[in-house]
Amino acid sequence: MQNRVISKKDLAGFVDDLIKTKAAGEVIGIKAKDDKFNFGTLKNAAELRLDYDIALLPPKKYFFPQIETVLKYEFGATPKVEPVVDDKAMCLVGVHPFDIRGILLFDAVYGGANPDANLLMKRRNSTIIGVDCLTPNPKSFAASMGTAVTDEGFDLMLTDIGGDYFVTVGTTKGDSLIKKAKTRDATPADQEKRDKVRKDTLKKYQVTLKMKADEIPALLDANWESKVFNDKAATCFSCGSCVMVCPTCVCFDVQDDPALNLKGGERYRRWDGCMLTEFAKVASGENFREHKEQRFRHRMYRKGKYLLERYKYLGCVGCGRCAIACLAQIASPAETFNLIKEGK
Amino acid sequence: MKPRVAFFDFTGCEGCQLEVLNFNLEIVDLIGAVDIVEFREASSDHSDEYDIAFIEGSQTTDRDVERIQKIRERAKILVALGACSCTGGVNALKNRFSMEENLKVVYGDSAKLYTTIPTRPTSAYVKVDAFIHGCPPNRNEVIRLVKCLLTGKKFELYHDPVCVECKLAENICAFERGEFCLGPVTRGGCNAVCVTGGRKCWGCRAPVDEPNVNSEKELLARYGLTVDDMLMQLKIFNGALEVSK
Amino acid sequence: MVMQLSAKQSLHLPRIAELIRVEALSDREKVFEFKFDDGKELGQMPGQFVEISIFGVGEAPISVTSSPTHKGSFELAVRATGSVTNKLHTLDKGAKVGIRGPFGNGFPIQTLKGKDILFVAGGIGLFPLRSLINYVLDNRKDFGEVNTLFGCRSPQERLFIGQLAEWNSCKDMCFLETVDRCADDSWSGNVGVITTLFPKVSFDPAKTYAIVVGPPIMYRFVIAECLKKGLADDHIIMSLERRMKCGVGKCGHCQINGLYCCQEGPVFTYAQVKSLKEAV
Ligand SMILES: Cc1cc2nc3c(=O)[nH]c(=O)nc-3n(C[C@H](O)[C@H](O)[C@H](O)COP(=O)(O)OP(=O)(O)OC[C@H]3O[C@@H](n4cnc5c(N)ncnc54)[C@H](O)[C@@H]3O)c2cc1C
Ligand code: SF4
Ligand code: SF4
Ligand code: SF4
Ligand code: SF4
Ligand code: SF4
Ligand code: FES
Repeated sequence: MQNRVISKKDLAGFVDDLIKTKAAGEVIGIKAKDDKFNFGTLKNAAELRLDYDIALLPPKKYFFPQIETVLKYEFGATPKVEPVVDDKAMCLVGVHPFDIRGILLFDAVYGGANPDANLLMKRRNSTIIGVDCLTPNPKSFAASMGTAVTDEGFDLMLTDIGGDYFVTVGTTKGDSLIKKAKTRDATPADQEKRDKVRKDTLKKYQVTLKMKADEIPALLDANWESKVFNDKAATCFSCGSCVMVCPTCVCFDVQDDPALNLKGGERYRRWDGCMLTEFAKVASGENFREHKEQRFRHRMYRKGKYLLERYKYLGCVGCGRCAIACLAQIASPAETFNLIKEGK
Repeated sequence: MKPRVAFFDFTGCEGCQLEVLNFNLEIVDLIGAVDIVEFREASSDHSDEYDIAFIEGSQTTDRDVERIQKIRERAKILVALGACSCTGGVNALKNRFSMEENLKVVYGDSAKLYTTIPTRPTSAYVKVDAFIHGCPPNRNEVIRLVKCLLTGKKFELYHDPVCVECKLAENICAFERGEFCLGPVTRGGCNAVCVTGGRKCWGCRAPVDEPNVNSEKELLARYGLTVDDMLMQLKIFNGALEVSK
Repeated sequence: MVMQLSAKQSLHLPRIAELIRVEALSDREKVFEFKFDDGKELGQMPGQFVEISIFGVGEAPISVTSSPTHKGSFELAVRATGSVTNKLHTLDKGAKVGIRGPFGNGFPIQTLKGKDILFVAGGIGLFPLRSLINYVLDNRKDFGEVNTLFGCRSPQERLFIGQLAEWNSCKDMCFLETVDRCADDSWSGNVGVITTLFPKVSFDPAKTYAIVVGPPIMYRFVIAECLKKGLADDHIIMSLERRMKCGVGKCGHCQINGLYCCQEGPVFTYAQVKSLKEAV
């Protein structure tokens, strides 16, 4: 497939067309929220802020909503039960490479042996237009995790190469969409510009891992007893902010909500996370991760080892959201891994 | 048969009563799932039996105590509704915090200001089956409790801190706006309404089971805030506290 | 990515089953027999579990206590502890529930074939184990010597009393029972914790697999006893409990280190458990 170059003005036209024609479904994009950024439904291309550092919540919320109804039922002699799967088409514009890596982890977790219709059907009907992150958040360490750039998981990937955007075409779906826009074929010189921009941004990441990302599992293997976990967890609020904002946190709770008329009800799932006190507690009162140190350590192992071993994708894409969100300033996996590495 | 529900009013603040009035109407209008047999009118305590008795406000006089004991005898399920009844208001909220020895540090000398308030939570006098925290209490929780009763599900206190729902609501953290917030140590279940509404959480729903109080103190200090700043905010939602100062 | 999915394949969608028999086992435990409305079999292996739904209340993971050799229906034995389990206890014959599953790995039948077996059940650990014991008895020629030890706290807490009597008089296996304590003379059998039964059985550790299910505290003592008798780590098999929400490896609640108890478990060998720091 032919990569392309599009001017900023024509990109705006392309996005406005997507909104107008709904060719790829509802258009969702990165927008300003006060002095921060967040994904939301786009009214027009002018709202789009491709120069953002990080979105408050990762775009996973469109495939794995905070609260999602999965069943509706009617009571009665024989209950009537219907699955609920919202699979409307969506086009996400402005997704950063590390957030795309997060979505790929979700595909692995929610696909696989027991495919989850709720997530996968939304994914199937989605289009992803990524954008390379040229202004990383000071807490981000995606460069160290190898997720600052991605060559999979998008239909189109935009890179700001000065006046224009370089458009890397990832899929035939992306190809047929961009063909409708006013673009020109990318030349080898354009491609060189793109590659240079990408290389330069890697240097803008202020937090770095003091090891290669693929050394983390072995490091954790050797340091189960590390006191870093205890030191860090001492100030943990068990507030769950770190797992709520994380693009690779996949866990959920399931609850029933009967209607007050007692004619029926619904069952929904809601984001849940291992940093919360009740996550591993059973009815007998036993809590399998009772202490905040245990929960803190578990999360670090999830991020650095368990998910990788299970799904071949690292459980942390280095976006830095947890570090931004954590009021105790302890949640960044990079920091914990570095401290362990340094033998602190 | 529909469950018989009664609301009883003790010493509380206006806001709470207004909210309760709202959700009474909601229950009557929308559901018809329950029979409201008593509504706040204290004098008409006849010898009824209630499936659920909601108690608003805290008990401050001997007569109050007698009355709450009578209600308890007739109620299958007794529910403390709102901060005043659940915790005795801010006063006891603070007391509960300070059971964690650490909190003395947070409140410092100000702590003794509050020990003079005689208000005590309903649970100090009678067995309370369920608590619906908040000032004002969240009507969704009253509805959740009624649903639990109707379906036979155990009513459990929401245990996650306010931060969880605050993140789900995609708010910008109050601390990032240079303000302080008690969300990390406060029991959620309110959808973080105050932060979503552009303010911050001042802890009206009582602390979580294991509040990390030292950490909250460090946090305040890091943002250049003192415990007095926090107490100033606490006053806003509780008139009783103001009187005591 | 799987492309042919439809909503009907929702992981959350249960099949409707009818409660056809309820029987009290003790004050807190009842056994429930279910039949699917569509007439199909559950198709479980011993040691697997289901997620039972009571609509409007929720779901809970429960082991299947009947053996797959029993056709046409299946049984769940349940202790009333919380919302779902208490509500279940109020249901009568004819009530409908939702069932998802069977889930989990189940006991390693293939490994056990031709081997001697030592069953050790403590309290409601008997629920999942009963499925395998009956499976072994129904396929008796496939297995070697069978010893079964069952212990509970008091005579009042004995479960499946009719079944225990059957096992007691069964020529195909050696069955021993004990109660931790007994205040009156209602019980003439063994008194003492379950490990006090060990000297009363003899087995060849090289050929024997011990299958142990009970409360966490019991594992520690029984495993020590098994090791003392010369059983290898991977000849000791146990079933672990964790909080569960989905049963299908998604919700994350059941993790034991990097493993998901609902997927790689709930049955583990002691060799595995030893390498898992969070297991016991
Ligand atoms: C693999 C497995 C097999 C089991 N087999 C049996 C059995 O045969 N008989 C029996 O009586 N009990 C069994 N249990 C325990 C049973 O699952 C819990 O007692 C039950 O979930 C409590 O649910 P509840 O809604 O009544 O309690 P609540 O306290 O209201 O629990 C709320 C929810 O939390 C989760 N949860 C709470 N406790 C547990 C727990 N112990 N294990 C897993 N999830 C939990 C469930 O999703 C539950 O619905 C088994 C547990 C597991 C993991
Ligand atoms: S653990 Fe933190 S840095 Fe890593 S992906 Fe999650 S939020 Fe981002
Ligand atoms: S880190 Fe915790 S919350 Fe996040 S996916 Fe892993 S277990 Fe779930
Ligand atoms: S690590 Fe930070 S964000 Fe995570 S639970 Fe602890 S205090 Fe909250
Ligand atoms: S605003 Fe308050 S409740 Fe929300 S995340 Fe920040 S500290 Fe937590
Ligand atoms: S955000 Fe805080 S103050 Fe506001 S209702 Fe919730 S608990 Fe109360
Ligand atoms: S029960 Fe949900 S992952 Fe195991």
